Amino acid sequence: MENLGPAVTKLLEELNPFAVLGTGATQGGELAKNAVVLTNYSFFLIVAVALTAIFFLIASRKMSLVPKGIGNIGEWSVEFVRNNIVLDVMGSEGVKYLPFIVTVFFAVLFNNVLGLIPGLKPGTGTLGTTFAWGIMVFVVYNWIGFRKSGFLGYLKSFLPSGTPWWLIPLIYPLEIISHFLRPFTLGVRLYANMYAGHIVLGVFGIFVVMAASALGPVTAVVGGLSLVMQIVMYAFEVFVAFIQAYVFAILTAVYMNGAIHAGSH
Amino acid sequence: MGGSLSVLGAGLAFGLGAIGPGIGVGFVAGKAIEGMARQPEMANKIQTTMFIGMALAEAIALLGFVLAFVLQAAK
Repeated sequence: MENLGPAVTKLLEELNPFAVLGTGATQGGELAKNAVVLTNYSFFLIVAVALTAIFFLIASRKMSLVPKGIGNIGEWSVEFVRNNIVLDVMGSEGVKYLPFIVTVFFAVLFNNVLGLIPGLKPGTGTLGTTFAWGIMVFVVYNWIGFRKSGFLGYLKSFLPSGTPWWLIPLIYPLEIISHFLRPFTLGVRLYANMYAGHIVLGVFGIFVVMAASALGPVTAVVGGLSLVMQIVMYAFEVFVAFIQAYVFAILTAVYMNGAIHAGSH
Repeated sequence: MGGSLSVLGAGLAFGLGAIGPGIGVGFVAGKAIEGMARQPEMANKIQTTMFIGMALAEAIALLGFVLAFVLQAAK
């Protein structure tokens, strides 16, 4: 087991978010200045977003009262988001924002699931993507809040009603900070879940390969257990991919709901 | 291995940082199950709230995870 270090280093290099796709773009290990290149993650981000668009374009091509085939799947999935995320959290008022939340949910889901295919990477496995999405959600829900209750009205709504005047200088900055932490936690949660899942799968994969390359009574047991764990963790990662998309969408809905009802509490 | 204190710190950052959120997530799930067992007709609503609560508690553990990588890089 003494050559575990290089294998882990290689795994981390493989997952490096700044690794450039293909070898032609680099010259002597250095990127040319102002070069526009795709990293591994941004390539699969584009693939996943394209797949999402293609799926829904095909699903909505022939819309009828009784959908057939792929249209059925598309309708069911939009209905799932409407019933379990939008109606549960925001009520009937939120149906107006259903397209945005459906888009967020399926973009995250397709990215997460694409990363589960061996050899491919999740577009959401890098901080750049998830932070950008977190900031997008932040901008959208604050925009809704400003639209709904006016500039000053929305700023005033950060204070819980009935705050004594001498507590205002203490509470107001805290509330502002907690709002600015939201895109950060949204991004870190999604990124860390996908990245950590990839590392865990990779590490168990390394164990299996190393045990197989030095077969003996001990390594056979270790390798067998690692293989079982690999399968168990893979199943868990499938679950995590769905749960994280669900959590991202539901938190988006919760933040939007807070912005819609900003004036009323 | 180039064992330095930053690697030890990275391990501790995640390990210690995961204790609290672990307890928290367990609490959320346990109480949600309790609630669902008492009122099965509210299961859907409880489940939604449970996922929100879990996600918020989990974020703290994941901050430790990211911090571990930052510390490890700071050699």
